[in-house]
Amino acid sequence: MPQENPFQDPLRFERRVPECVVVIFGANGDLTKRKLLPALYRLAYERRLPAGFAMLGVSRTPMSDDQFREKMRESVEKFLEDSPFDADIWTSFAQGLFYMAGDNDDPATFPAMDKRIKELEAARHTGGNVLFYLSTQPSQYIPLAHGLGTSVGKSSGWRRIVIEKPFGHDLASAQELSEELHKSFAESDVYRIDHYLGKETVQNILAFRFGNGIFEPLWNRRYVNHVQITAAESIGVEGRGAYYQEAGALRDMIQNHLVQVMGTIAMEPSATFRPDSVRDERSKLLRSIHVMKPDEVLRDTVSGQYGPARMGGADMAGFRQEPGVRPEAQTDTYAAVTFFVDNWRWAGVPFYVRSGKRLPKRVTEIAIQFNEAPLAIFNGAAATSAPNLLILRIQPEEGISLKFVSKRPGAGMKLRPVSMDFNYGSSFGERSPTAYETLLLDAMIGDATLYTRQDMVEASWRVVDAIHGVWSDHKFEFPNYAAGSWGPKASDDMLARRGHAWRRP
Amino acid sequence: MAGTIAPDSILKEMAELWVSLGKQGEDGAGVLRACMMTLVVVAEESEDAQGIGETLAALMPEHPSRVIVIRFRAEEERTLSSRVFAQCWMPFGQRQQICCEQIEITASAVSIPELAAAVMPLAVPDLPVILWCRSPRIFHRYTFPRLAAMAEKVVCDSATFGDPASALGELSEAVGGGRLLADFSWTRLTRWRELISQIFENRSLLGSLERVGAVRISCCGKTTPASAYYLAAWLMEGIEKTAAQAAPRFETAGGSASGSLTRVDLMAADGAETIASVGLVEGHAAEVRVGQLVDRAVLPEPTDYALMREELGIPGRDPVFERTLARAAQLALS
Repeated sequence: MPQENPFQDPLRFERRVPECVVVIFGANGDLTKRKLLPALYRLAYERRLPAGFAMLGVSRTPMSDDQFREKMRESVEKFLEDSPFDADIWTSFAQGLFYMAGDNDDPATFPAMDKRIKELEAARHTGGNVLFYLSTQPSQYIPLAHGLGTSVGKSSGWRRIVIEKPFGHDLASAQELSEELHKSFAESDVYRIDHYLGKETVQNILAFRFGNGIFEPLWNRRYVNHVQITAAESIGVEGRGAYYQEAGALRDMIQNHLVQVMGTIAMEPSATFRPDSVRDERSKLLRSIHVMKPDEVLRDTVSGQYGPARMGGADMAGFRQEPGVRPEAQTDTYAAVTFFVDNWRWAGVPFYVRSGKRLPKRVTEIAIQFNEAPLAIFNGAAATSAPNLLILRIQPEEGISLKFVSKRPGAGMKLRPVSMDFNYGSSFGERSPTAYETLLLDAMIGDATLYTRQDMVEASWRVVDAIHGVWSDHKFEFPNYAAGSWGPKASDDMLARRGHAWRRP
Repeated sequence: MAGTIAPDSILKEMAELWVSLGKQGEDGAGVLRACMMTLVVVAEESEDAQGIGETLAALMPEHPSRVIVIRFRAEEERTLSSRVFAQCWMPFGQRQQICCEQIEITASAVSIPELAAAVMPLAVPDLPVILWCRSPRIFHRYTFPRLAAMAEKVVCDSATFGDPASALGELSEAVGGGRLLADFSWTRLTRWRELISQIFENRSLLGSLERVGAVRISCCGKTTPASAYYLAAWLMEGIEKTAAQAAPRFETAGGSASGSLTRVDLMAADGAETIASVGLVEGHAAEVRVGQLVDRAVLPEPTDYALMREELGIPGRDPVFERTLARAAQLALS
């Protein structure tokens, strides 16, 4: 029997997905409706899914396969982004959608699920490959992993499990989660999804750094003055107050998304683009982030919480006025941290990372500020020199800008900063896949490059636990910034102490 | 009507164009200029200029280029003239226009030798030059290689060449001589090939390939088109990798879309069993049948834009195409 498909043409064909069943727990939930099903449908539309692809939805609500299909159709039509809905494609795709009602706490659910998976394997030729996607409350991860054990869906193919953040709420719980998962799944089969890493422009950081020869020589402490990573949201907690007050910006955003982005910015070049090679380098960088001592936490971090404000003629509630939030909540809706990386490349270079809710605009970007020219020979010129700045914009307008100084036309040596812009969306008109399309495809293919590994999760918790431990012993005078502002003044002071200032994105 | 084109004055005209576009920018937003390559388009003057312009405009957002459109007049009288303009578009929600420069040259076929010398300096330095020849008359002109020599890659469409067998032979010879070539007759097959390939991604179905003894390719029209030979050659090579052998069978039937594929069947050697098939249904959908499994996918008729977009995405050699072309030429000529 041939060992591999002789018709492959990687130059022209899209990446190949092997036959498999995707089992989604929480199939009636918001994530499934808004993100997962539209992403799977879009993959079908793009002809990425194999013939016989199957998806088995699992949740408590009793429903027939047809009712589930109808429900999913409504969701896909509603939440599909930048893409037409094709009724014929849907009809074909929907034939591969199945549903079973099951209570995750009921031991009878799992043998029944195993039976259903085996039936699908026989009917759809899925080769025994199963991808379990846990779109559930994090508290369900361990019971579900136990239930799946080593038997559900086990046959000749592979079994993988995808979990969403948070991966624990501190280092100890993250380690416990991994230990429990490993009782049923090898680490190589655990896919911890961080949708930030699936964004096209975050992937483009790797292309920018390692596909070009001119930037890497500058990418170190000799030339880089400091780095700023900003993830600002203009919205508040949007009904998630009860969850958010237990999480906060530090643990909800910085521990996972932004530390991973920082890892991508600062990691050493990988020898190959194989998943483990890339992840080894990212993990090595995360382990090199300086773990702060308590006095450093007080100096190099800022916690903030937004208060009420009037914006654009409308009254905005403060965090403590949001539904489900305790009136005395000490939750950080804003967090800013000065990280240092203890390695030869980055020693002494501050990485300022901030994230907050109810900031003036929604923007995520990385700014790398280079050292100024060593000698200001244009002293006296009307416009003084400005540091070179490389800005990698992740959202909403993905692109790269390089700021440098140029002579103004005319007599005399008058300088002014100019910006050279590369706009990802308008330089390349093609639709970019959503992060979930990319990440689901990767999980089915078995490419874990953009997924977070256990050692990476633990490394980032080590850094964040040191901060959070000090914060939880401290009583903050909240609120300390108004909704619609760029965060607490203490955050500006933190940078000013090193002679820096936050950019206004 | 005679004339000349001076590369230096065209380049100067382009520089002035950028200055004037910069001044037009509202609120000092100016325009953005992007460039990945020089795209030289060779077309007949009688061709729909608007259609070509729309295709190029659609290509520019993804493949921003300096475009040189050479429109050839039918008459042999020596002619050369040029004009320069910019193609600009305002991306949705942005303040800045994106612009690509375009040079249009009108020439007669007898001007090809001097044209090559004039076009070469107009190419953007250090970036690849892609030549898209839409005119079979010019492609077959004995002086065409002089024009093609300046390009890293030449794109043509053998479906417009008349006799498929001699077209494939000619292209195979050019590739054998080292030319980097693309043929839309092959590009049109990508979606068909992808659907067939996807069937055999499934390991349980992969085993059934060994039982394939014949491939039947059905198309519209009276003669077997080049694309059918390509597809047969590609399938035969794939099947041979499993140590099996498959004989090709071509079936043609009348129809308006002459030369287009309608169905592919992979059959057991005795012809009694169809192991897998892909066929057009209801317009632009394809039905994939493997045993009891029936799947449906969109299979739109590829436009010039879609075909060129795919080819511009492959700047280097395409070994699968080159191997298949050699074999397709043998099949067509046998």
